[in-house]
Amino acid sequence: MAMRQGNVLLDAGENAVEMEDLDEEDFAVSNSSDADAAFDTVIGNIEDIIMEERFQHLQQGFMEKYYLEFEDSEENKLSYMSIFQEYIELLEKDIEQQLTDRIPGFSMNTFIHSLQQHKDEVSGDIFDMLLTFTDFLAFKEMFLDYRAEREGRGLDLSAGLVVKSLNSTPSPPFTNTCTASQLQ
Amino acid sequence: MGLLTILKKMKHKEREMRLLMLGLDNAGKTTILKKFNGEDVSTISPTLGFNIKTLEHRGFKLNIWDVGGQKSLRSYWRNYFESTDGLVWVVDSADRLRLEDCKQELNALLIEERLAGATLLVFANKQDLPGALSKDAIREALALDSIKTHHWCIIGCSAVTGENLLTGVDWLLDDIAARIFTLD
Repeated sequence: MAMRQGNVLLDAGENAVEMEDLDEEDFAVSNSSDADAAFDTVIGNIEDIIMEERFQHLQQGFMEKYYLEFEDSEENKLSYMSIFQEYIELLEKDIEQQLTDRIPGFSMNTFIHSLQQHKDEVSGDIFDMLLTFTDFLAFKEMFLDYRAEREGRGLDLSAGLVVKSLNSTPSPPFTNTCTASQLQ
Repeated sequence: MGLLTILKKMKHKEREMRLLMLGLDNAGKTTILKKFNGEDVSTISPTLGFNIKTLEHRGFKLNIWDVGGQKSLRSYWRNYFESTDGLVWVVDSADRLRLEDCKQELNALLIEERLAGATLLVFANKQDLPGALSKDAIREALALDSIKTHHWCIIGCSAVTGENLLTGVDWLLDDIAARIFTLD
């Protein structure tokens, strides 16, 4: 697979030199296979970045910050949308930063440009995954799942036994801290 | 614009459209959305946030966004402009006193850059009410004939009875489809 080749290039430790060469060729007569290799290198790196635990921690930290804002109701709060935009920005910035750290001379603008040139070839799991980040309904679902899990409602089996707080302030009924303080 | 946003635009799925439904409060936006989706419309309360429905129609996947229209909420509309294929402007045809307000809000949308490519459907809603103005009267009151920047159409309808909702949406789909999907 093309993406894999990109990784091989990186793993070989020769990518720094190769990338510089490629950049020059981009401005000269373009050698399509080299340009493709550069493109694939970026794709391979994006794949690595979003699979890493570090990236998942980033997402988790974000959910931890906002999950109490999300409620399982059909109508969405206006605040969801600004949180959503903040989320996309956070992921975009992180991916860009990581690519810059990993690929010498990386330019997001150049990559986006070649992405548009490769429009028809841009397919596969990695893009599907990136696209799920931009899907609002998937985003909301992710938060609701996270909240359910945080509040001990993760299992569907328990759905019939959920104790809901009568007051409007969200107070997770099953957290350990709550029980612990009551015991003391 | 970052990587994810651009990717989303690029991967604009074939036969998928994003419709944004706006208008003053109490125009009937949520009722139209629910009626079109075959839901009960007898108990609809003012929208303070936003609703999304994803539905299939004529082989198209429609993502319809309905955002609350109260004055205090209108400044949030801008958060929903991105990637809009069709703008549905809903008018309460019986609300004569606010037609000027209605016209101004619509005009403000039409100069938005991010809505520049969107087709405009105006629903002259509440035609079932005795005091409702005709769609031609609404057309004049909103000075629709002076719109040169967007493809537009006005349809008289009733969200409560469902009259003409399909006619409007079908026109909108045809216009968007002719614009987008023939380019590829």
